[in-house]
Amino acid sequence: MTNALETKQLVKKFGGVVAIDRFSVQIRKGEITGIIGPNGSGKTTFINVLTGISAMDGGRVVIGDQQEKGGIKAWEVFELGIARTFQNIRLFEQMSVQDNVLIAMTKRSPLAALFERHRDIHETLVKEVLTRVGLYDKRRALAKELSYGQRKLLEIARALATSADMILFDEPFAGLFPEMVRVVSDILKELRAGEKTVVLIEHDMAIIRELCDRIIVMDAGQLLAEGMPKQVLTNPAVIEAYLGV
Amino acid sequence: MEYLIHIAIFSAIFGILAISLDLIVGYTGMLSVAHAAFYGIGAYATTLLLKMLGLNFFFALPLAVVITMLVALLIGVVLSKFKTDYYALASLGFGVIVYVVFQNWLQVTRGPFGIPGIPRPDMFGFTFVENVAFLLLALVVLACVYALARFMVRSSFGRILTAIREDETAISVFGYRTTSYKLIIFTIAAGMAAIAGGLYASYITFIAPSAFSVNESIFILAIVILGGAGSLRGPLMGAVVLVLLPELLRFVGLPSDIAAQMRQLLYGVILVLLMLYRPQGLVGTYKL
Amino acid sequence: MSIVPQIIINSIIAGSLYALVAMGFSLIYSVTKFFNLAHGVLAAVGGYGVFFFGRMLGLPVMVAVALGILIATLVGWLLERCVFSPLRSRKSSALVLLVASLGAFTAIQALIALLFGSQFLTLAPILEGGSPFTVAGATITDVQIVLVGTALAAFVCVWLILKKTSFGKVVRATADDEEVAKIVGINTHKVIGKTFVIGSMLAGMAGILSGFDTGIEPIMGLPLLLKGVIAAIIGGMGSVPGALLGAYLLGFSENVGVWFIPGEWKDAISFSILILFLLLRPFGILGRK
Repeated sequence: MTNALETKQLVKKFGGVVAIDRFSVQIRKGEITGIIGPNGSGKTTFINVLTGISAMDGGRVVIGDQQEKGGIKAWEVFELGIARTFQNIRLFEQMSVQDNVLIAMTKRSPLAALFERHRDIHETLVKEVLTRVGLYDKRRALAKELSYGQRKLLEIARALATSADMILFDEPFAGLFPEMVRVVSDILKELRAGEKTVVLIEHDMAIIRELCDRIIVMDAGQLLAEGMPKQVLTNPAVIEAYLGV
Repeated sequence: MEYLIHIAIFSAIFGILAISLDLIVGYTGMLSVAHAAFYGIGAYATTLLLKMLGLNFFFALPLAVVITMLVALLIGVVLSKFKTDYYALASLGFGVIVYVVFQNWLQVTRGPFGIPGIPRPDMFGFTFVENVAFLLLALVVLACVYALARFMVRSSFGRILTAIREDETAISVFGYRTTSYKLIIFTIAAGMAAIAGGLYASYITFIAPSAFSVNESIFILAIVILGGAGSLRGPLMGAVVLVLLPELLRFVGLPSDIAAQMRQLLYGVILVLLMLYRPQGLVGTYKL
Repeated sequence: MSIVPQIIINSIIAGSLYALVAMGFSLIYSVTKFFNLAHGVLAAVGGYGVFFFGRMLGLPVMVAVALGILIATLVGWLLERCVFSPLRSRKSSALVLLVASLGAFTAIQALIALLFGSQFLTLAPILEGGSPFTVAGATITDVQIVLVGTALAAFVCVWLILKKTSFGKVVRATADDEEVAKIVGINTHKVIGKTFVIGSMLAGMAGILSGFDTGIEPIMGLPLLLKGVIAAIIGGMGSVPGALLGAYLLGFSENVGVWFIPGEWKDAISFSILILFLLLRPFGILGRK
């Protein structure tokens, strides 16, 4: 199995607090990798560093076979074939559902974007991803008018619309109704079936067990354990970190 | 009649200013209080090119636009480092600095005395002396600016600007270099303001710094917000309303100093009431 | 005779004036997290209050000053109650608050001009000033001494309130995180209201003292506001000692700058300093984060 992404001794500090501490992991291509850990263990920070939202303070990230030193800029993330969702939902609130998705597909360079109108080719893809999450009927509504669950689904649709090779999901299931949970977990399985790489931050162990091929456990910014769900979830150190025994 | 034409010309000039500022404030979400500076640079540059180099208006204006855009690019690079209220403050700073330059760079601007005797535009031997003719010219220019703005906001480019307004961090993760987008729209909008400045200078035939002060920036901002930021019809409508409204005060027969203060009072109250009760303005949809 | 003592004295006088505005502005920012542009116009309200009570009604100076401060405080507090507080409870963005305060500034300034005319007025006849003092070859008037004294006394008072009283504690808690403060049972609405009272009082004093020193005009609020904001940012937004420090730094740099560059460029200099600070050290000298 080849790596889609690898970190080497990744460090991130906030002031004096070390949020990520010499963190080295591999994420394999075409798998669903779960990241678990107690609150504040650095899971979201890890994703933020990978997507250029926070600058890294040390270490390296290797994406595919491209070496990345020092850090990643947010706008490079798309070129590296990575997309993400946000735990605290960051939609373009006062834009239509359709426009939220179109943003993921239009030309990136200003000059090209200036002369681009959205056309049939976009329409087809918009219809495809919005139908997938059941929001096609709502495409003209503003993002802020959607319910919480629909907003979460729209974020996922927006990430899917990038056609990125690797998608980082930050707690996509949190607060969803069971039928929506089904939709999202089906999407993740489809991504895996399509050879895409998925990283999933999640607290629900049942979902982790069902979906993940591998698990990374973080604790206090460090790697606590990694491996197959069965082994990792029975590891005494992991249980202790979770239950605080 | 002549009076109505005068008002219509002013509405057109402020329509251009408001549409261009709306591209910055309403579409991209950057609260700029520096717009009068570019309006002024456009006016002074046009004037100097007309009077010192004796260029034809229709050559001088594009050149003035280019000059203004270069200045805007420099200012924009600095401004692009800031967000929300710090952006507003820094832009205010540039507004004041440019104004102080107009006031004190005597060799070029003649300072508070202003520059009189600016010629009206002429084209193939036809001079726009009559105000009707000038109104037509102003309306044509306004239509062009409107069309260009519409072309931009309806393209993917426009959608990206709006997304920057909504969440700059989120959209940058989708692969957009937001700084270039912000710089481009800021520079283009400044160029549009320069066009308004050129029209103003050659219409009034006299310019002085006071027409390009921070108060003027606030006035343009009030037009945009009253009409409805983030729409193109809004600023146009706001321009007509806010240019017309104070004229009504004059009809009531108030002395000009009092009328001017009533205007300011009105703008201030309008801004406060809009923020409290209708942040999307008259016809806008975007809530600041 | 050296000009240096006079420059130092002038810097201290200017700095004291800026400090009065900056401390209130910074204090209000610390609990509300928005730039209250209407803060500057309260100085004009204070100055014109004294003009009205002292010169038009002929009340004794001290009474007129007290009423002037009172009316500036009242206007500041009313703005908070009727405009800013409703907007905040609606979770309006910083831009909305900024625009609303800009509108309030413009409206009140115009109202003053309508009531009293827009010409420059002097408060001097109310106060029979003694002859200026001479200190180390520099002159300073009694009003200016009061101005410097007031600024320093105000700083000590505000600083003591923040550090030593239970009210100061809740102000600091609200400034740290309004949501958390609410959760632990602090009535942040009240705290912010009181902060506006203190800040507006200081702005009113600045306007009155500046009125006695030079004079009053409706537009006096804008330069005072801008200098206050610049001082607050240089010192570190939200920090009261920072505001004081920033104010004196600004006062010195302006007065020393005038030595090299003609005075008309003063505003351009202050704003260039501001933009430089925003670029290089956006959290100011004493600011955090």
